[in-house]
Amino acid sequence: MTERIEAKISVEDEKASIDSESEIIESSKNDELMKEGTQSIPQIDYSDFREESQLLSVKGLIDRELSEPYSIYTYRYFIYTWPHLCFFARHGDKYVGVIVCKLEPHGGLKRGYIAMLAVDGAYRRLKIGTTLTEKAIDTMVLGEADEIVLETELTNRPALRLYDSLGFIREKRLKRYYLNGADALRLKLFLKEPIYEEEDVD
Amino acid sequence: MKGVGEPTDFQAAAAATATAAAAATAGCAAAKAHGETPADVENCETDQDWNVGNCGFMDTDWQQKIRSNSAAEDITQFPLYAWVNVTKDFHNACSELVPGELAQDMLFGLFEAMSAIEIMDPKMDVGMGFDKYDLPPPSFEAAVTMGAIKLDDLTSAELIGIFDALFACVVSWLEGNSMDQVLFTCLYLHAPSKIKDKALRVFCTSVRNLIVIIKNIIVTAGVNEEEDFQLYGNSALLAAEKAQPSAITGLLKEVEDELVRKCKQLTAPEDLMAVVHRLRFMRHLYQAIYQVELLSVAESAEEGVNEIYKSLNVAAELLPLIRRTIDRGTQPVEGSDTPNPMGFSPRIHDRSQPPTFPRSIKIRERPASFQFLEEMVGRFKYACKVIRHRDYYSALNFFIEYSRKSGQCILSRSFLQNLFTTGIRLVHGKQSMKQFLKYSVQIFNSPPVLNPKHPVANDPKVQQHLDTFFRYCINMNTFTQFIRICGFNRARQRDKLARLIENFDTIQVDAARLDSLMNLMANERALEGNELHATALKHSTHFSTWVLYNCFRAMLIFLMSGFELELYAVHEFLYIYWYPYEFLVGFLVSALTRTENILLAQEEYAEHQSKIQVNGGGGGAGKNRKPAKPKKNKKQQRPYRQEIVYYHALLSLCGGMYKAMGALTKDGRIRLPTSKFDNEEIRYNRRFSPFVPLTSPPPVSYAEFKNIRDHMMRPSVEELYAFAAKHFDQARNVLESMQNPEQEMLDLLQIARTNFVVMNVLAQGHQKGLKRQPEFDFSRHSYFPIIKLK
Ligand SMILES: CC(C)(COP(=O)(O)OP(=O)(O)OC[C@H]1O[C@@H](n2cnc3c(N)ncnc32)[C@H](O)[C@@H]1OP(=O)(O)O)[C@@H](O)C(=O)NCCC(=O)NCCS
Repeated sequence: MTERIEAKISVEDEKASIDSESEIIESSKNDELMKEGTQSIPQIDYSDFREESQLLSVKGLIDRELSEPYSIYTYRYFIYTWPHLCFFARHGDKYVGVIVCKLEPHGGLKRGYIAMLAVDGAYRRLKIGTTLTEKAIDTMVLGEADEIVLETELTNRPALRLYDSLGFIREKRLKRYYLNGADALRLKLFLKEPIYEEEDVD
Repeated sequence: MKGVGEPTDFQAAAAATATAAAAATAGCAAAKAHGETPADVENCETDQDWNVGNCGFMDTDWQQKIRSNSAAEDITQFPLYAWVNVTKDFHNACSELVPGELAQDMLFGLFEAMSAIEIMDPKMDVGMGFDKYDLPPPSFEAAVTMGAIKLDDLTSAELIGIFDALFACVVSWLEGNSMDQVLFTCLYLHAPSKIKDKALRVFCTSVRNLIVIIKNIIVTAGVNEEEDFQLYGNSALLAAEKAQPSAITGLLKEVEDELVRKCKQLTAPEDLMAVVHRLRFMRHLYQAIYQVELLSVAESAEEGVNEIYKSLNVAAELLPLIRRTIDRGTQPVEGSDTPNPMGFSPRIHDRSQPPTFPRSIKIRERPASFQFLEEMVGRFKYACKVIRHRDYYSALNFFIEYSRKSGQCILSRSFLQNLFTTGIRLVHGKQSMKQFLKYSVQIFNSPPVLNPKHPVANDPKVQQHLDTFFRYCINMNTFTQFIRICGFNRARQRDKLARLIENFDTIQVDAARLDSLMNLMANERALEGNELHATALKHSTHFSTWVLYNCFRAMLIFLMSGFELELYAVHEFLYIYWYPYEFLVGFLVSALTRTENILLAQEEYAEHQSKIQVNGGGGGAGKNRKPAKPKKNKKQQRPYRQEIVYYHALLSLCGGMYKAMGALTKDGRIRLPTSKFDNEEIRYNRRFSPFVPLTSPPPVSYAEFKNIRDHMMRPSVEELYAFAAKHFDQARNVLESMQNPEQEMLDLLQIARTNFVVMNVLAQGHQKGLKRQPEFDFSRHSYFPIIKLK
């Protein structure tokens, strides 16, 4: 039951923007941003959570990009318990991406969990989401995670693709998972070969 | 002020915003200090054992008091609520914290954090939907006093409006919404006995009784999950008036008759007739559903189900009439969330919701609701056919098919489960499941030992072995479980199948043991000179074949369900299609072929025997039977022919997809995981992990798969595309050879044809410059996509 309400992340925009799997393999980058700037990819800095003032940036970014509402306690729960598993992407002073995770024992394994991931609409397709996720996974690997789990909306193609390319598999379909009645997928990245078959304790 | 004073084991602490959980007392005090509305402070009372469950579900007298305005004043009265002002202590405690530090109670975990509602946040606080001039939602009594709802002299239009809105509520409830948020927003349902208008009273009473019966059916079937159906609702409301399930149809009939008499005196009876049609529809729908409950005490399954079917037929005939007269009823006001202008109070249960953010409910529109009901009645009718399926093989087929067509509706699924289990009980009586399974194996591949007419069936030793085996099957529950699983919603079936498959292993072992015991006994009997028994027992593979066949089917459904549920990324298609192509479908074909061969051999033997008997001067009866028999046998020789042909088509389609994926990958058209975290071996092992515990078929390691794939991918891209095309062409041939193909076969045929063309296009080197990943369109069939180049 608890898992069911974990990270009810759903997406309002974006997902509609690509209608199919059909995409040129050599993808086009975020041309607009590159044009307006210095013809090159903007310099993005990455850091982890340091202090309270950043909390509002996290909240702001996520509230903007995700439809599901989170209470302030949810942010605090994650970020203050696992500050080292919260990473930011910044362009100058501007927070343009964030990932929020946790890492806990779960049914005899150590399970990492990606609760929220969001990249500012103007900074998409620059591998910021990928970089943030990789940083989080690296840290969780250091923390001896056996697997990493997350949920995302069935129709959230950008997120699904991002996670596909990282090696996640879509383990389960969760019917009517979100408050808006949409289905979700549970994704998992296995970092180790299973030592034993875990019972399904989700 | 627990928590705040001793934040030792928590890294985190709160800013001045008091956490709801940390100290309920403190929270209340703070809220009070800030002058928030009394209702927000409800949590306070449960100070000692605060939990989320309490705060959301408080629908006690006390809460009702709060709601009525006068009582709300009382809340601040000392000593009635024993308020203690802790503001100062609270601020003192806060001063010890640094900004951002969080006082967290042990019990305040993620669940609580996620469930906490930020007051005044428009996304979370239901109260934000009200403005301060809004009146509190009226209760039944209040609405009556205010004159907002009529209890008597309702016009036909008003009745139709309320009835149709209630049907819409029933449908929305069956779609998984909470009873409180849909059905019990209808104030009339709160106290039907107080309604003076007979038609309305009886209708509302019927709805209440229907709710109870539907709940029973769903609970008995036990194939519901939290996302399908909410069992819990305001039971106090439901209990307020006694259920009287057996009286309902009589009551409905009575009002109907009265109204029909009235109609005869009217010059324009159309509106009133529309009311009658709704009452009548309710009666037959009710009758059908109620009879499912009664079926367990019926004389015979056929009779009971026939009655149900008749009621459903009448209900189905009434629906078009009802749909045509929707506009004769009062209609919901545009933009309002009330399903009907009179009799509903959508907000009345806002505060009795489960302890998470309230789901926003959209009650179905009327035409869509009747469409749902029409389809549901159709599904019920279809479900009635299950009693014709007396053996496991055909029952399982029926369930698989039913799930594909009706898998979304919880009541339809439960309806079928109930009909089936009661049907089995009625047909097979005592130890019905065991009898059913025995009968099923007999029908499936007719082992002589299960043929009551064969003398070997009376051999006590044989009987003992059989008994042990079937008892074991029942204890393991594997077979019955398979059927039950088909009753769950499609998303849940997959996990359950994974566990089922593991269970098959022990049954397989046992079945193999039984077969070998039979073979041993054959030798014994042969030595004793008992040719007849020896022949009957010899070469037994009946039981293991039966078990294996069912296991293979579970495996195939498990694997392919991942496509329907969109669980496979495109780059995974290759190994998923490979397995059925290389192994699974072939196993199924050979299990069925073997079964047909066994049947054939037995029939030949039987024929041979009877010939001997006839020639030996047997009775006249044998002579009479003889000419009829071979004819019948001819037809029976290949009972699985159609299914085998289907599997042949499946084999070619899987082969086509497997090689197509190989070709596309080699051609650089498939997006592959690029990350250092990706590990194909782990993914492969995970995808096939439910098969690992099985002895048969033996698991196939990743290394073996890789070898086979490497070999497959050796030819040039063009050749690979051509190979794939060839498979699709074969599939096309097989499918075209089918007589009277069902829609599914036609869909598969379309897929085979299109993919054949696409593969040929690619084989000829078109679109070489543009390496796009094609689109895989599963809209025709859930197992196989049409490959589309853009
Ligand atoms: C999902 C999200 C975080 C991706 O962030 P991002 O920085 O744009 O992603 P990346 O640039 O790292 O993209 C990685 C890959 O994902 C896929 N992808 C990402 N966005 C995509 C899009 N709009 N269309 C198609 N593919 C997309 C691509 O394959 C991309 O690789 P490529 O650019 O080399 O083709 C971002 O879209 C977002 O914030 N969405 C809203 C919030 C959300 O959905 N969060 C995830 C919930 S768990």
